[in-house]
Amino acid sequence: MALNGIIEIQNLSFSRGSRAIFKDINISIDAGKITVIMGPSGTGKTTLLRLISGQLQPDQGKVMLFGHDIAKLKRKQLNALRSRMGVLFQSGALFTDLSVFDNVAFPLREHLNLSAEQLHDRVLLKLEAVGLRGARDLMPSHLSGGMARRVALARAVALEPEIILYDEPFAGQDPIAMAVLQRLIKDLNDDMQLTSVLVSHDIAEACAIADQVILLGEGKVLAHDSPAALQSSEDPAVRQFMHGEADGVIPFHYSAGPLADELLYSGGEV
Amino acid sequence: MINFIASMGSALIYRLSLMGRALIMLVQAVTVMPSPKSGARLIQQLYVVGVQSLIIILVSALFIGMVLGLQGYTLLAAYGSEQAVGQMVALTLVRELSPVVAGLLFAGRAGSALTAELGLMKATEQLASLEMFGVDPLHRIVAPRFWAGIISLPLLVAIFSLVGVYGGHLVAVEWLGVYSGSYWGNMQQAVDFNGDVMSGMIKALVFAFLITWIALYQGYACVPTSQGISAATTRTVVYASLAILGFDFILTALMFGGA
Repeated sequence: MALNGIIEIQNLSFSRGSRAIFKDINISIDAGKITVIMGPSGTGKTTLLRLISGQLQPDQGKVMLFGHDIAKLKRKQLNALRSRMGVLFQSGALFTDLSVFDNVAFPLREHLNLSAEQLHDRVLLKLEAVGLRGARDLMPSHLSGGMARRVALARAVALEPEIILYDEPFAGQDPIAMAVLQRLIKDLNDDMQLTSVLVSHDIAEACAIADQVILLGEGKVLAHDSPAALQSSEDPAVRQFMHGEADGVIPFHYSAGPLADELLYSGGEV
Repeated sequence: MINFIASMGSALIYRLSLMGRALIMLVQAVTVMPSPKSGARLIQQLYVVGVQSLIIILVSALFIGMVLGLQGYTLLAAYGSEQAVGQMVALTLVRELSPVVAGLLFAGRAGSALTAELGLMKATEQLASLEMFGVDPLHRIVAPRFWAGIISLPLLVAIFSLVGVYGGHLVAVEWLGVYSGSYWGNMQQAVDFNGDVMSGMIKALVFAFLITWIALYQGYACVPTSQGISAATTRTVVYASLAILGFDFILTALMFGGA
């Protein structure tokens, strides 16, 4: 396979305990695009992000980032790669003991040797980009969920990364916050020539900004295509997910014996 | 029978592997070069772990000292030797009660807070996001808290003894009328700095190590859910308390048992 993606996942298998989460999957993510990873809950979407960012190690296969196999990197090299990659965690993961300003300044202080003035300007520019320059002195506990996620986004792009990973950016947001985040993700991707990888199951919101969609299910890649192609797909599993049908190839019921047997059971013990 | 032995063995291996992981965490956390910034973080943690534990230590020490004075006086007065109450209060405190009681209070006050704080940092992905910024959470979060615990508890134990002795004085001298000179004089004669005070401080140091280590590992390794954090916090208090009492016996046997 040619190495053309900025993120390449090759023959990757991963399991937690005895449960196999991924079985020999291959994914290639193109630079400069917005790629959305979708799939029913529990298919390991967040796990996949953690594998990409090197927080988890695959059991088999490899994850190539900027052409480097991240399992083979030393800690220093991995950290250097990580500074070229931003992550927006599901909860925002703001440091609760730091103000909004200091949260955004954190990666800059860690990695760059900026003067106080340069730091101040850069942080304010990043906050301005997410519309929260006025909130710089607030503590994370005083932010709404949507605002916290925008601050986290400003922090994630503070080092001007080449890749940004979003873990469920739309989960639990009101419609306005959702639209704001959508716009921000799209704008950031276009303005900074980022490669964006989103994990989401908000189909409409994600598809509206996605260039590519990867649909995961049962430990495998079910489909990898443009959103339009997936919408019109004839594959039953793809159809069921994209159109949000309650029952189908992916059953509504968690596997169990016939209901009648259990209801009519008149044995001694309950 | 074979199954029983096998399950015992696997439980033992599991426990050992947990202890190994806890040890690795500690070694990785403390093997780091200090820097001016890490000094500032240590001072902040000394405030949280040490200074904020002061109130509970001061109040408990005062009451325990007063109770010791009262009990000691009643007991000793029966033999007409109530003059010795000062040495009884001081020896009980510096050898045993200060390190043990201050340790137990410290486990409940600071240890549980450390576990909950780390657990919540894990649950809210703050530890993961530190890692993503190329910052080792063991160096940034665990190390300053560990050293703060190691430094704080011995100091708190020393303060506990001082306040306790004063509490004994309050009851025995001010209230029950023991002659002040014999309260202090007997104490000065009976308490040996190396034998008594220092052995108490060694206990304090060992307890500080155990409590902080247990608390930090439980927080760092907890299941990052609300039940997981609450279970980890409980485990911190239970394990730390048992460790204090168990090690107290061992240390006492080593220090005072032979002679």
